[in-house]
Amino acid sequence: MTVLLFAGLTLRELARRRLVAAVAVLTLAIVAFTAWGLHRLATAVVDGAPIAEPGKHAAAAGIVILLAFLFSFVLALGAALVGAPAMAESIANGEILAVLARPLRRADVPLGRWLGTVIALAIYVAVAGGIELLVVRVTTGYVPPHPLAALAYLCALAAVVTTAAVALAARLPALAAGIVAALLFGLAWIGGIIESIGLALGNQRLADAGTVVALVFPSDALWRGALYALQPAVFTAIAANANGTSPNPFAVTSPPPPALLAWACGWVVAVLLAGIIAFRTRDL
Amino acid sequence: MADAIAARALAKRYGRVEALADLTLRVERGECLGFLGPNGAGKSTAVKIFVGLVRATGGDAQLLGRPAGDRRTRARIGYLPELFRYPDWLAAREVLGFHAKLMRLNDAGRAIDLVLDEVGLRERARDRVGTYSKGMQQRLGLAVALLGEPEIVFLDEPTSALDPVGRRDVRALIERLRARNTTVFLNSHLLGEVERVCDRVCVIDRGRVVAEGTVDALTGETRGVRVRSDDGWRDYDVAHAEIPGLVARLVADGVRVHAVEPKQTTLEDRFLSLVRHA
Repeated sequence: MTVLLFAGLTLRELARRRLVAAVAVLTLAIVAFTAWGLHRLATAVVDGAPIAEPGKHAAAAGIVILLAFLFSFVLALGAALVGAPAMAESIANGEILAVLARPLRRADVPLGRWLGTVIALAIYVAVAGGIELLVVRVTTGYVPPHPLAALAYLCALAAVVTTAAVALAARLPALAAGIVAALLFGLAWIGGIIESIGLALGNQRLADAGTVVALVFPSDALWRGALYALQPAVFTAIAANANGTSPNPFAVTSPPPPALLAWACGWVVAVLLAGIIAFRTRDL
Repeated sequence: MADAIAARALAKRYGRVEALADLTLRVERGECLGFLGPNGAGKSTAVKIFVGLVRATGGDAQLLGRPAGDRRTRARIGYLPELFRYPDWLAAREVLGFHAKLMRLNDAGRAIDLVLDEVGLRERARDRVGTYSKGMQQRLGLAVALLGEPEIVFLDEPTSALDPVGRRDVRALIERLRARNTTVFLNSHLLGEVERVCDRVCVIDRGRVVAEGTVDALTGETRGVRVRSDDGWRDYDVAHAEIPGLVARLVADGVRVHAVEPKQTTLEDRFLSLVRHA
C-alpha cells in the first residue's frame, strides 16, 4: 500500500537524520534529572521527619502535571517541525516530481507523511512518557489515576498539530507551515485559559471566545483530557471548590465531553481532507 | 495504434501569465523528438502536463491513447525533471527501490541493476546520495526515469549537470532507447545534442510552436563555400552540389587550393532566427 511506503520513508528519514538519536539522548537526560529530583523529594526530611506519604504523592502529582505540560509543548513543536518538512521538503527540492509521475494517487503522499509523523510521535509519547511515569512510581510510589488515557490524549494532541502542519505544508513552504501550526497550538492554549477566566468571572463572552478557539483548533481540549487523566481526585475536588474564584490552567474539574472528542476526530479528518484536496489541485 | 504523445491546442495559464498557448504536436511511437525553446517558452510546463503534474487550462493531451495524467498510463512512462534533488540520506539503490515499489515492479532487483549499469552508477549504488556530485545525481535521475523499461521517456535537460563524457554517455543512451523503440521526448538547450540524436525537432516560443520538422527540413539547403588559397580565404555563392565543379575550375585556372569549407546552417542558427523573429 503506497500510503505505508510514504509513512515508512518518513520514519526512516527521522532515524537516518539522527533526530531519533538526538531526541533519545535529550529525553534520557531529562528523565535522569527528574529521577534525581524525585528521589530527593522522596527522601527529603522536613522538621526532622520524612515527608508523609499523602504529601509526597501530592507533590509528585504536581510535578507529573508540570512535566506533562512541558511534554505537550515539546510534542506540539515536534509535530510542527517534523510534519511540515516531511510534506513540504520533497516538493521544494523537486524530488516529488518524479515520484508523482508514478502510478499513485496524490492523496497517498500527505496521508503517508501524516501517518509516518503520527506513528513517530506516538512511539515517542509511549516510550518517553512511559519511562517518566515509571520513574515517578519507582522514586515516589505515586501512580496517576489514568496514565494510559493521559498518554492517549497526548498522542491525540500530537496528531492534531501534525494534521495542521501536513495540511498547511501541502501549499506552504515547510518553515511557514511549521510555524503556523505551532502558533495555532499556542493560540488554542491561550484560548483555553481565556475560557477558564471567562467561566471564573462569569463572563459568557470570554467563555464563548475560548470555546470557539477550542473548536477551531482542538488541541487544548485534548491537553485538558490528559490533565484530567493525570490529576488525583483530591486535585479535582480542590479545582471544583475553587471554580468561580481562581482560574487555574493546571487543574480541571471534568474530562472533555465526548462531543468535543468526536469534534476533534472529525476535525482531524476534515483538515487532512482539506490538505489532500489542496495538494491534489496544486500545480507542481 | 495511438500516437505516443498527442497534444491539441494545449494551453496553460498561471493567472495572467500564459505559459503555454495552442500547443499542437504529435510524437509517434519509437520517435525521438527534440523539444526546443528559449527560457520561459513553456517547455517544462508542457512536459509537466504530459506527465500529470500540471493541469492544462485548455486543449487536450494524450499519452499512448489515454488522457495525460491517467494513472495506468503513468506506469508506462519515465520522467527526468529539470530541477530535482533526491534525499541525501538515501543510497541510490534505495531511491530506485522506492520507485520500484511505487511502480509495483515484479523483479525489482534485476530492473534496478539494469538501470544502474545503463547510467554507470553500479559501483556507487550503495553510497548515500549526499556523497554524489551533481553529475552523479543527474545520472541517478536518469536511472529513475529509465526504471521498468518505460514506453515513453521524458528527459528535461538531461545533460545540464554532466561533463563532456557524461553528455556523450547520455547521447549513447538515447541511441539505445531509440534502438529499443522507446519514445524519447528530449527537452534541451544543447542544440548540438538535439541535432545529433533526434528524429524530429519542435521549436516553441512564448508557449506556441514556431517550427517543427526534421533537422534537415528545419535547417534547409544552404549555399556558399569558403576556399583558402595562397591569397587567403574567399567566399563563393554556389550550391553545395556545385562545389566540386568550382574547385576544378579554380585549380584549372592555376589557383592553389589549400582548404574548402562548405557553409552550414546549423540548428543553432535556425533556432536563433526563429526565436528572435517570433
